[in-house]
Amino acid sequence: MNNSAQNALHHPEVQMARAPGYVAGFLIASVLMVIAFVYGTRNGLPTTERDTVLAVIAIVAMTIQSFLLFHLTLSKTQRWHTVAFVLTIPLFALLVGLSMWMFHALALRTMIPGLH
Amino acid sequence: MLVNLHGPWSPLVGRLALPQIPYDNPLVVGAFFFSLAIAVALAVGVTSAGRWGYLWREWLTTVDHKKIGVMYILVGMVMLFRGFIDAVMIRTQQVMAVGAHSAGHLGALHGYMPPFHFDQVYSAHGAIMIFFAATPILVGLMNIVVPLQIGARDMAYPYLNAVGLWLTVAAAALVMLSLFVGDFSHAGWIGLTPLTELPYSPGVGVDYWLWSVQISSLGTTLGAINLIATIIKMRAPGMRWSRLPIFSWTSLSANIIAVTTFPVLTAALLLLTLDRYLGTHFFTAGMGGNLMLYTNLFWVWGHPEVYFLVLPAFGALSEIIPTFSGKPLFGYATMVLASFGIAGISWTTWLHHFFTMGAGPSINTFFSLATMTVGIFTGVKVFNWAFTMYRGRLRFDTPMLWAMAAVFLLLPGGLTGLMVAMVPADYQVHNSVFLVAHFHNMIAVIAFAALGAISYWFPKVFGFKLDEPLGKRVFWYWVAGSLMVFVPMYLLGFMGMTRRLDYVSHPSWLPLLVLEEVGIGLYCIAAYYQVKQLYVSVRDRHVNRVGADAWGMARSMEWMTHSPVPFYNFAVTPRVHARDEWAWRREQGLTSLHPDGFQDIHMPKNTAVPLILGGLSCALGFGLVWRIWWLSAVSLAAIMGTVIARAFEKDTDYVISAVELERLDAGHAASSPEPQTVGIVAGGGLASRQAPSSRHPGD
Amino acid sequence: MTSRTTETVEPGEIVLWDARHDSHDRIATRTFGFWLYMLSDAMIFAALFTVYAILGHNYAGGPTAAQILHPGRALIETLVVFTSVLAFGLGMSALKHGNRSAVLNWIAVAFVLGVAFVGLEIQAFAHLANHGIVPQRSAFLSAFYTIVLTHGLHMVFGLLWMAVMAVQVLRDGFTDNVVYRLLNLRIFWHFQAVIWVCVFVFIYL
Repeated sequence: MNNSAQNALHHPEVQMARAPGYVAGFLIASVLMVIAFVYGTRNGLPTTERDTVLAVIAIVAMTIQSFLLFHLTLSKTQRWHTVAFVLTIPLFALLVGLSMWMFHALALRTMIPGLH
Repeated sequence: MLVNLHGPWSPLVGRLALPQIPYDNPLVVGAFFFSLAIAVALAVGVTSAGRWGYLWREWLTTVDHKKIGVMYILVGMVMLFRGFIDAVMIRTQQVMAVGAHSAGHLGALHGYMPPFHFDQVYSAHGAIMIFFAATPILVGLMNIVVPLQIGARDMAYPYLNAVGLWLTVAAAALVMLSLFVGDFSHAGWIGLTPLTELPYSPGVGVDYWLWSVQISSLGTTLGAINLIATIIKMRAPGMRWSRLPIFSWTSLSANIIAVTTFPVLTAALLLLTLDRYLGTHFFTAGMGGNLMLYTNLFWVWGHPEVYFLVLPAFGALSEIIPTFSGKPLFGYATMVLASFGIAGISWTTWLHHFFTMGAGPSINTFFSLATMTVGIFTGVKVFNWAFTMYRGRLRFDTPMLWAMAAVFLLLPGGLTGLMVAMVPADYQVHNSVFLVAHFHNMIAVIAFAALGAISYWFPKVFGFKLDEPLGKRVFWYWVAGSLMVFVPMYLLGFMGMTRRLDYVSHPSWLPLLVLEEVGIGLYCIAAYYQVKQLYVSVRDRHVNRVGADAWGMARSMEWMTHSPVPFYNFAVTPRVHARDEWAWRREQGLTSLHPDGFQDIHMPKNTAVPLILGGLSCALGFGLVWRIWWLSAVSLAAIMGTVIARAFEKDTDYVISAVELERLDAGHAASSPEPQTVGIVAGGGLASRQAPSSRHPGD
Repeated sequence: MTSRTTETVEPGEIVLWDARHDSHDRIATRTFGFWLYMLSDAMIFAALFTVYAILGHNYAGGPTAAQILHPGRALIETLVVFTSVLAFGLGMSALKHGNRSAVLNWIAVAFVLGVAFVGLEIQAFAHLANHGIVPQRSAFLSAFYTIVLTHGLHMVFGLLWMAVMAVQVLRDGFTDNVVYRLLNLRIFWHFQAVIWVCVFVFIYL
């Protein structure tokens, strides 16, 4: 039974933790959030352009976090984590995107006042 | 309370009150005494055989994937029977309540069930069949077969596996309780809003439905994680992806669906729960709520769910047909790709369940095209099965009969599915019994494949075959019943009969409804023969004993274990050299199951924690249904405490030494019936030499 | 495919049974399973975000998003949770060397910051509730409360888990079990930051 402390700590997933990476991830994500904040509060009214810019900032932040915080690479240790993640993203997008598209079309057709 | 509750409420017992027990309903009272009789008979039987210790040690606290799978299937079969009774009740009501002059009994104006009860019966029928019959049976099959097929000793997370089982049992218990205490949901198995909101469902029925589905879905999600991790991480050396057995491939794709879509159901039910318990406005008719949002979220789960059910069924067909054709599966690569194609596309098709709800032509067209694409992948599978059988040495044992009938049923089921995938056609038949016939047709495919799989793998798990002549009789009555119920139903759908009718106003429909009633009678006969088959098979088990390769011409690795399979599966992990490893070894003449060297192995210990968590979940569910807040709080705290306490348990595994392992394996080999039925190991079945749960063997 | 699928073997050299292959990588198996759970959790949030996207403007004549949401305060919460996540990450970096006290110290820092985050959220919601701005007022408020509080509930579970892990580290040191649980907790905690990015950008901004 591999219960000795030595063996567990030598595991690649333990050893792949990188302090500089975590600090960088923190700084980049924080800066991006501040940028988003400034941009968002400057342009108050929701428009397609504003939403797109904010969405892009969020996606960039999350991608960097995936890489630096979650170590989602194609290395032997992390390969399956990355595959599972990459396969889930489209499903996340399909759920939100197709639903929004459908309700938007529905709102146009039913013309219920106040329904966005 | 944050919501307006109909009826009394007390801090001690919540909404529970004597009138909630339907002691004046003869049907329910009858069901109660029937269930009580069975429970008492079982308890008496187990006590007189002195087997409570055995039951506790070998079954209730086990983490062995094979036993967990058997228990899943057992729960599924019991609930299948309960759901079947509901079906008989629906059929009978509809054949009795035809025309304005039809008689009324037991308080009903027509037929024998008032509308409110009829609604609960079809809601229970749907919910039970999907969540508590089909899902557990298929999950049980995957549980038993997948680790054996990939050469693993158990699933990736044996403890979690048991937790998933007991959560499912807890949820099933909740459903059964709803029969005797309170009502079940009257709003269909789907639970469309706003019918399921408090103003329209002020009773506890919808809450029972919510919590039982929620709890069992949690179990299914945990099981899905387990299966995916097992298949990816626990394959035997040499088992490359191109050598993975097809049933394991379909299990992988099915569970990828499950792990991604069940959370959406969790969210949908959670939001409805918040509406009912806290008075939020997600799906209410007013205050900004959006009724269609529930429908949308539910079917995002609901459509992939049916593929979650059908893919393991297809996988089972892909195992049975090559075995009984004496040939490898035709088109393995396309089968695998088709499975993943189905899984992927199924995520883009959900709106076809509500084409008529007003989304518009462009949206409808997108989802219609996506739906039709699935037909392509399914068609690939049908052709591959046909080509597998072509020029094979066919044997028509019971599993093969089930498999061939499933493929035959897939044709009308799939074609009617493609019909309704076309939006204009769907507008004609939406909410009619044509649709009901279509999806029951597909469910029949799943059921036939599952029953075929059970008879196929039964000898591997228990060491003896099911009685063949009776098995064939069961099969033919299922076929006859299916035809007699659903062909008239298709016709009635075209004639305009809608779903969920407790009263049928067109007397011209009566002849077809009578045919359906005959059909359900044929199913009843099938059920009788099913029970008889089990009894006769167990009685004659020594005559029907089998060895490792029970059918003589199996192909994949699970047939390389002794029958019944020892608790450690393989004494030494096999090394894999080919797809259809067992067939390859047979061809090379390497059929010995005796390894040349043994090593110590680690096995997980039995534990009562999953059973306790199941019990506490049932208590939590019950407390939440009846709004007994103290019970809910205490159960929840106890659940969290138990989970944390388990995390501090260090003694969770034990070692079997190489010497002991060799001895055990020799015992299993000796009890194989190849020479004769000598030395049947005490305890029978799987229990042969189960190591004790709390001490090392040899102590 | 066939030549790779089926091995060609010399009869005398076939290895049928692999006695050495008994222990699978327990830690990797467990972190992978937990990762799958995390992805399923992400799908719950996907559903909740969908709900927010559809219901987010249904004010039912009640308070609107612009009226009750304070992006500045949310930015502070963002930085707090990011710092907590960083602290935990630094603790996991200390784990590489088996430095028990460093790991425990960093977990404590992450814990305190996590509590601060939850505290800020509770304060914000209490303030809203006191003014009658409750989830029962409109669909928008129902959706807003639910999604933010679901994230908050995850944070609370994470904090509880941290406390349990601290006890386990003290009691057992860095055994297999403790290490894989710490790895899982790292995944869980980092995930809270990622989801918060979505909450901050798509809800508060």
